[in-house]
Amino acid sequence: MQATYKKTIQWLRSDGRHFQILSQIGFLCFGIFTLGWDADWQKLLAAFAGCVGAQFLAIRFAGLPAHSVKSALITALGISLLFKANSPWLFLFAALFAIGQKFVTKVNGKHLWNPANFGIVLVILLSGEGWISPGQWGSGPLLIFLIGTAGLAVLSNIKRLDTGIVFILTLGLLEYVRTILYLGWESDVLFLKLSSGSLWLFSLFMITDPMTAPGSKAVRMVWASVIAGISFYLTNFEFINGAPFWVLFFATPITPLLDKVFNGKQFQWIRFQTQLQNK
Amino acid sequence: MRNKIPTLLKGTVLVVFIAIATVSFSFCGFYVAKADAKLFNNKSEVIMVRDGIHNVITMSSDFQGALEDFAMVVPVPVVIGSNNVKVIERRIFDVLNDYSAPRLVNYYDANPCGQPELFYYENDFSMVESTSLKSIMFCSAEVINYGVTIEAEYDVDEYKIMILSAKESDGLKNWLIDNNYKIPGAAAEVLDPYVKSNMKFFLVKVNLAKKKASNDPFLRPIQITFDHDKFMLPLRLGMANSQGSQDMIVYAFTKKGRVECTNYRTVKMPTDRNIPLYVQPKFGDFYKSLFEKTYLQEGRNAVFLEYAWNVSPYNSMHCDPCVGPPPVNRDFVDAGVDWLSDPNAPQQDIFFTRLHVRYTRDKFPADLQFQVTPNSEMFQCRYVMTYPPSGDLSCEAGQNYILELYTKRKKEVDELAALTGWNEKDGEDYINAFNSQIVPSKSEEKKNEFLPFAFLEKYGFKTILAFTILMGTFWLLRTSTEKTVVKTT
Repeated sequence: MQATYKKTIQWLRSDGRHFQILSQIGFLCFGIFTLGWDADWQKLLAAFAGCVGAQFLAIRFAGLPAHSVKSALITALGISLLFKANSPWLFLFAALFAIGQKFVTKVNGKHLWNPANFGIVLVILLSGEGWISPGQWGSGPLLIFLIGTAGLAVLSNIKRLDTGIVFILTLGLLEYVRTILYLGWESDVLFLKLSSGSLWLFSLFMITDPMTAPGSKAVRMVWASVIAGISFYLTNFEFINGAPFWVLFFATPITPLLDKVFNGKQFQWIRFQTQLQNK
Repeated sequence: MRNKIPTLLKGTVLVVFIAIATVSFSFCGFYVAKADAKLFNNKSEVIMVRDGIHNVITMSSDFQGALEDFAMVVPVPVVIGSNNVKVIERRIFDVLNDYSAPRLVNYYDANPCGQPELFYYENDFSMVESTSLKSIMFCSAEVINYGVTIEAEYDVDEYKIMILSAKESDGLKNWLIDNNYKIPGAAAEVLDPYVKSNMKFFLVKVNLAKKKASNDPFLRPIQITFDHDKFMLPLRLGMANSQGSQDMIVYAFTKKGRVECTNYRTVKMPTDRNIPLYVQPKFGDFYKSLFEKTYLQEGRNAVFLEYAWNVSPYNSMHCDPCVGPPPVNRDFVDAGVDWLSDPNAPQQDIFFTRLHVRYTRDKFPADLQFQVTPNSEMFQCRYVMTYPPSGDLSCEAGQNYILELYTKRKKEVDELAALTGWNEKDGEDYINAFNSQIVPSKSEEKKNEFLPFAFLEKYGFKTILAFTILMGTFWLLRTSTEKTVVKTT
């Protein structure tokens, strides 16, 4: 029994993506079964088939390691969690753009955009038929607890907790100053804004993507706070819904530049496994 | 990039801000009541039309008090000129409500023993009840060191309209008090965030002379038009003097698709459920209980979708079934769908979304924010009743039908309990109503198949348990007896 437990923990820790995949599956189930999202199996299938299929082709013909299919799974889950569209085809296109981008826009071994973010934004811009629903999670302490716990587990494993925390703290501080100190709303107005499930998912699962965030810790923290600042401005003064999502789209392409200037290191998913093997 | 952003934002980002505060428009207003006036505001209706950053907002009023007491305070994002204020007929709210209300559908099963009879009709059901409202004195405005500016002042039909801007909320509050408004303390507190957000205040009172000439005792809805990025409805002012929950029905029209809330969840009401026939006379109560239960289940902080349909003129099937005559072009134009007002313009879509929100101060601290999405999936709240055929059911198909009916009705009763929490004593009789039509001689097999089935349904668990215990005891006794016998021998 204990051996099985140990093995499971070892397996989870061996690759940062394992726990991420499990968490995202959990969120998707929570959305579908508890929050009553429309679960259209055709759309889910399109997202998964597109991501995994494209990644498989890359493994087969571009000589990528087989474990990269886990990244494709994360992208497929990300698209299923965030993206909404009338047609399953748009899910397929989002998936193909997301994975395709990883091979087309490679700078210094790093792709420019978070795949799910890129696929979704591109399909929304090109088709005008897709959207994201910032209100789909609602707000509440339980939600933050669930997402927060999963996020902590994933991020502490890949050592990216700093990015998520800096982002949410910066945004929280700015919102506090505006909502409470300046406008004079009560504290629960602020809490409603900051306990949005979409915001927490973004903070812990998207902006923290180690493949598209700057490699140097200090730079990464500044980068996250700048994204938070711009998101705050766009939300409150330009009335853009889901602003962080759009800001990230424009913020990740400068990562290679930041890495070059500040000498950021390339992230490796299978770090722990190699350590274990070396032992 | 600049020209791509608007396209992208259509689905995700367009937001209006309008705040409507009033005695009669409870969702966003406050009552400013005379000393002993009882204040309540439990239900309001609003039509929102959104096209790009263009907004048309229509507020209905069920105000039934003395007309000289009527006044309304509506925070709006921009100064609204007299050309952008219209008074429309109350009728349009009834048309939209009737057409999009949750519906009860009756189906009639055909008689399987030969007499064909198939009917189909639907019942109208109006969800919106009248609310009587009380309110205030509105006196003429004088701006003396209040930090309040009268931006515009004009008459539109029977209404006198004034638009104020304020530098700080204390000035506005004092101005209102000095002009014989009585402001609830809580309302004065939430005035501050609106003033600091640079909102203007749209004040309305009735022009008594003109109103009396019209002979219509009711106040007609006011429609305002403005362009602004914000797409929201303020709730907070309306909560200022309201205890408990308030309901608001929003009829939203866009060119593209559904309107959804961005800072609260938008949840579909349960739909397409089969319910027992005896619910028919109390369908109104049924929906109220269903709404109440769903509202509690979803944590009291969700916005509910009751209707979503592409109602463009070319789309002939507007509902299935329709509970009221579909709105015609003129109705849409009256509701503020101004892209239809030019008959020569190329035909454009109209998507109708009906949202129902029940809000309380603790669960809805912030105003509602919306977005227009390209979501064109149709939705309606539809509950189905199936009438059994009349006449003889003694043929074999008829006997089978009775068996099916039994199972179906049982499901209906369970469904009703699950939807509303009603524990109906009528349920048993309703489920078994056709059992007496089982013909023993003609369908002996069916009877044998049916009766134990019904019996087991009712007493199944206990019967099996009793039987098992009995057999078990018997077996134990026998075994022990045998052992005793062996031992003794």
